[in-house]
Amino acid sequence: MRVGLRIRSLLGVGALLLGLPSNSIAQATPTSSETRGRPGQSLAIVVNKSNPIEDLPYSELRKIFLGERSHWPSGRRIAVAMMDDGHPERQTVLRQIYRMDENGYREHFIKGVFRGDVFVAPKTLSSPIVMRKFVFNAPGGIGYLRSTDVDKSVKVLRVDGRLPDDKDYKLQIDDRAVE
Amino acid sequence: MHVSIFDLRDTLSRRSLGLLKFTLLCLLAYAPVLQGQQAEPTSDSEKQTVQLLLQRIDSLEASQKQLLDRIAKLEKAQAGSPAGVAVAASQTGMESVAPSEEQEEMTEAEKMDVNRTLLNIRGFGDFGLYGGNQKGEHTSFSLGELNLFITSNISEKFRFLTELVFEVHQDNDFEEDLERVLLEYSLNDYFKLSAGRYHSAIGYYNTAYHHTTWFQTTTDRPFLFQFEDEGGILPIHNVGVSASGQIPSGKLGLHYVAEVGNGRTSSSPNLEPVQNLVDENTHKSLNVALFSRPDTIPGLQVGFSAYRDVLFPLGSAGIGETILDAYGVLARRDFEWLNEGLVIRHSPRGDGHIFDTPGFYTQISKRFGSYRPYFRYQYVNASPNEPVFPQVGLRTGPTAGIRYDVNESVALKLQYDYTELRRQQAVSTLGLQVGFTF
Repeated sequence: MRVGLRIRSLLGVGALLLGLPSNSIAQATPTSSETRGRPGQSLAIVVNKSNPIEDLPYSELRKIFLGERSHWPSGRRIAVAMMDDGHPERQTVLRQIYRMDENGYREHFIKGVFRGDVFVAPKTLSSPIVMRKFVFNAPGGIGYLRSTDVDKSVKVLRVDGRLPDDKDYKLQIDDRAVE
Repeated sequence: MHVSIFDLRDTLSRRSLGLLKFTLLCLLAYAPVLQGQQAEPTSDSEKQTVQLLLQRIDSLEASQKQLLDRIAKLEKAQAGSPAGVAVAASQTGMESVAPSEEQEEMTEAEKMDVNRTLLNIRGFGDFGLYGGNQKGEHTSFSLGELNLFITSNISEKFRFLTELVFEVHQDNDFEEDLERVLLEYSLNDYFKLSAGRYHSAIGYYNTAYHHTTWFQTTTDRPFLFQFEDEGGILPIHNVGVSASGQIPSGKLGLHYVAEVGNGRTSSSPNLEPVQNLVDENTHKSLNVALFSRPDTIPGLQVGFSAYRDVLFPLGSAGIGETILDAYGVLARRDFEWLNEGLVIRHSPRGDGHIFDTPGFYTQISKRFGSYRPYFRYQYVNASPNEPVFPQVGLRTGPTAGIRYDVNESVALKLQYDYTELRRQQAVSTLGLQVGFTF
């Protein structure tokens, strides 16, 4: 038994040094490559730290991502950021916020911009690091991150009064969705 | 060997990490062996091996603790930095991109992606084969419109938008038109101002479907909303200013549109129907629209619009034009049901006559995988004495067809139309169309 525990410990250290997923390290240095593959994590909605908004009802969050809201109450234009294809976080947003598949998402924004219903389509970003940087740099930016990818450069919003670590938080990542 | 590795741990250099990784790979390769030993250590040499490994594990655990402490210190030190995690990660060897390089890449990406002063171009086109029983009509391959939809986000508040359309008319000549040219200013969700040439917000269809067949379920627009240069009876295009936005109304989702423009050309049917540069009179057209997109029923939109202008055909003292439209549509990705009716009232000045031209269409379709069968019925009935479009008369009949989405960018449509006309033989047409976006 003791040997078994220690082997797990050994594997943990090995994982740390080899850059493999590890719970303790994910908390210490969150990057997507480390944390991907762990099902059941929360998806944090993040905005620029200067944004006074603290809490968004889910219905408002959906309108923002759909492009039906184009400005924050302060008057600043909302800049929605989406992760590139293949990220579980993107699939989570498509499924739980947009309630669309990739084709539906694409069609929605082509039509929306063409008709004038949507002022600007979301930006597509390549990684959680770029997402953090974008939200940090764009005062009107809103995006999403795996909760373990969040750092102090961005502000996490409550959704329907709940933070990602709270019970009954709606946005949960299912990594298997992209497999 | 392992002692020398751990002597290097404080430096955390790339080289030492490589060595550590190699050593640990070897150790990990031993893991199955260790599991087997746990079950039943049978010899002294195996017991010694286990003891040796346990010592190594103790060392590694101590090393892990030190590493975690060090990471925690680094995180604390970087807490005030926006790129704190990235810096910490890079120093632990987890990130290969230095923060400064990453920042540069980000800045470059922003320049390219924020679209400021850049043109975003999306193209639409269609091509078809059409035939019917109308006298003098021949079955023909036909080029449809080639539409370059161009937008540019000039700044946070301003956007430019245009539809540059290349089309072929009955004389087989190509013609290019700027069907929409708009400079838009968006103050907030409640007020957007657009100036230029726009599609009048008369009813639903004219603002939902512009110059491309690709978005449409059917191969063509309903009679009522055909373009002016194709015999349409509405002022589809206008040049002027338009204000629009949401109305704070909670779940009701109310929106408004108010437009002031030159209105349509009326002095001669041979002139360009849209008054792009010069208005033939000082009277301006007015249009107001109100519609609701309630939260509770996704895809539902109900609304009405009222348009008012005065036309001055040659030899006329003026004709008042009022267009009232009401609609209710349910437009979802898998199902649509469009219902729209309007009446165009022309009241010549000094004449007691009033000419009302009613019209409507209803269209229903449902998607089954890549297939979307549809049905439409439409009706328009203009008086033979109608002073503005006497040639229209009665047109009514059903349309049936099927749309097949080959992929997300190409659609095939097969459509049959049967149209009854006043005092003329009914017209049947069959069309096959391929529409695409690129």
